[in-house]
Amino acid sequence: MNWAVVPFLLPLITGVVSLFVLKTEDKRAVNIVSAVAQLFLALWLVAQNVQGHAFVLTSGGWAAQVGIALVADLLASIMLVLSTFTALACVLFSCVETPARVEHPLRLPLIQFMIAGINLAFLTGDLFNLFVAFEIMLIASYALLTLEADDWDIKQAYPYLAINLFGSTLFICAAGLAYGLFGTLNFAGMIQKSAELQGDPRVVLLALLLLIVFGTKAGLFPLYYWLPNSYPILPSPLAGLYSGMLTKVGVYVLVRMFGTVLPHDLHGVHTFIAWLAGFTMVIAVVGAISRNFVRGILSFHILSQIGFMALAIGLFTPLSIAACIFYIMHHIIVKASLFLIGGVAVVLNRTDDLNKMGHLWRATPWVGIVFLIQALSLAGIPPLSGFWGKYLIIVEGLREGAYVLIAASIVASVLTMFSMVKIWFGAFWSESEGVVVRTDDKRWKPMVWIIGGMCAVSLGIGFGAEGVLQLATQAAEGVLDQAGYVQLVLGAGGKGGS
Amino acid sequence: MQIETALLVGILFACATWLILQRNFVRILFGFIVLSNAANLLVLSMSGRPDGKVAPIVDGSGVPMVDPLPQALILTAIVIGFGVTAYLVTLLYRLFLDQKTTNAREMFEEEDSKS
Repeated sequence: MNWAVVPFLLPLITGVVSLFVLKTEDKRAVNIVSAVAQLFLALWLVAQNVQGHAFVLTSGGWAAQVGIALVADLLASIMLVLSTFTALACVLFSCVETPARVEHPLRLPLIQFMIAGINLAFLTGDLFNLFVAFEIMLIASYALLTLEADDWDIKQAYPYLAINLFGSTLFICAAGLAYGLFGTLNFAGMIQKSAELQGDPRVVLLALLLLIVFGTKAGLFPLYYWLPNSYPILPSPLAGLYSGMLTKVGVYVLVRMFGTVLPHDLHGVHTFIAWLAGFTMVIAVVGAISRNFVRGILSFHILSQIGFMALAIGLFTPLSIAACIFYIMHHIIVKASLFLIGGVAVVLNRTDDLNKMGHLWRATPWVGIVFLIQALSLAGIPPLSGFWGKYLIIVEGLREGAYVLIAASIVASVLTMFSMVKIWFGAFWSESEGVVVRTDDKRWKPMVWIIGGMCAVSLGIGFGAEGVLQLATQAAEGVLDQAGYVQLVLGAGGKGGS
Repeated sequence: MQIETALLVGILFACATWLILQRNFVRILFGFIVLSNAANLLVLSMSGRPDGKVAPIVDGSGVPMVDPLPQALILTAIVIGFGVTAYLVTLLYRLFLDQKTTNAREMFEEEDSKS
């Protein structure tokens, strides 16, 4: 049994079984058990990787350049932990939020299919297989987006579908051109070939094409318009999952592509990424301020934070890649939990329009405390988890002399704080007349336990920053070690290897 | 052969872009179909010149074969593209039923005047 494939197979099998075999109540139990199993498996993979045992699966016994390789190295395993943890929280939240009899029968199976796609995207060691993983993830996400949408909501699904179809087509083109250029689509093979193509302008063009493809998926400026309008139409548990994972798959692939696969000397492409990131941070946070409902504000914040991660990739030093990985870990948990807190507020206030919300601090102080911790963490107040990521990125930026970009990131942080305060005043402190807090709705108490659990993890990242940073540094070293990656993948052997 | 394919891919991409930027749903749909075919053709052209090569069926005769890998990639891409196109058709039909229009501009007009 090769464990590298299990994080993909487990959600896939769970999805198929709950689609065709199980009744609603059993379905929930099976999905939760499966999500817990996936999380423990991912944690075990990280533990193995920290000790230096990476997992490589050469499917069908064919050598990596001939067949498809799956690689569970440290970064991939860390991402698996994050995806399975978010999935567990969102499945639990979904079970609490929606009563079993009104739950759409396709919701849980589609969540599992989406997780399968996301996990495959983390594990794959092959560019075309990455395309397939993206498509599994995206098709499930299209279906979930429109599954419970009403007449008005469904309009917003069209830009989402259109931009992602466009991105997928460009991805096929990029994969085809990469095959023409390198003669292989295996990451390890591409690393070997690109050493021979040192200074070839076609490699730079391919890098730019891949940047467009994954920048679109991640929501980088100027290709982010599809995100802030489509995410608010999702039900809150799904919005938590989408906001936590989907754009971060794009960021992960950018790290993998620019860190591991493409040559490290790319004639200014990295600087270009850093500038795109600067624009993303500032423009998106201004968008967040313009919105007046909780999910709208949070959706723009996803983009702004993507800017920070992309800036860390653009600086492209070993420490900045480690900072990027740290930031991804912090961001996925904080962002997903903020969307779920938004979901609790919707249950209590029956709306997420800030003009019609209020009294939440008086009625439910625990929700307020959890929100405050996560919001301050997002803005980057020490010693919460967001501070350390931002601090490292700013330190590296100053060392590299990118003063304008660092100034932009500080402005973005201050404005993040401002828009979080806007939610705080609108939903928690506002004492406006005629607003009812429905504390008689029994669903909110188990929800607080779920968001409390996520908040505890994010506090753990903040206070245990030393250990988490060591993990991130080790992962970053693994990503940047191209020779080590080639040795790992091609050393796995198999039929037909050269 | 390569130049002609490159020109054809270029023309297909141009047509697809023009169609997608139209406002009529049916034209948008055709635009996406043409776009995915243009991409498939681009991948196919990565097999190199097919002159003097035979289909990739191994019979041990040693005659040079065309590279089968791009064909395998296209096969996957066609299947995925087919699924996504089916979804797009359904979504556009649902939009037509809900919004009583097949014009993308009319669909978003109300929202623009509101904000």
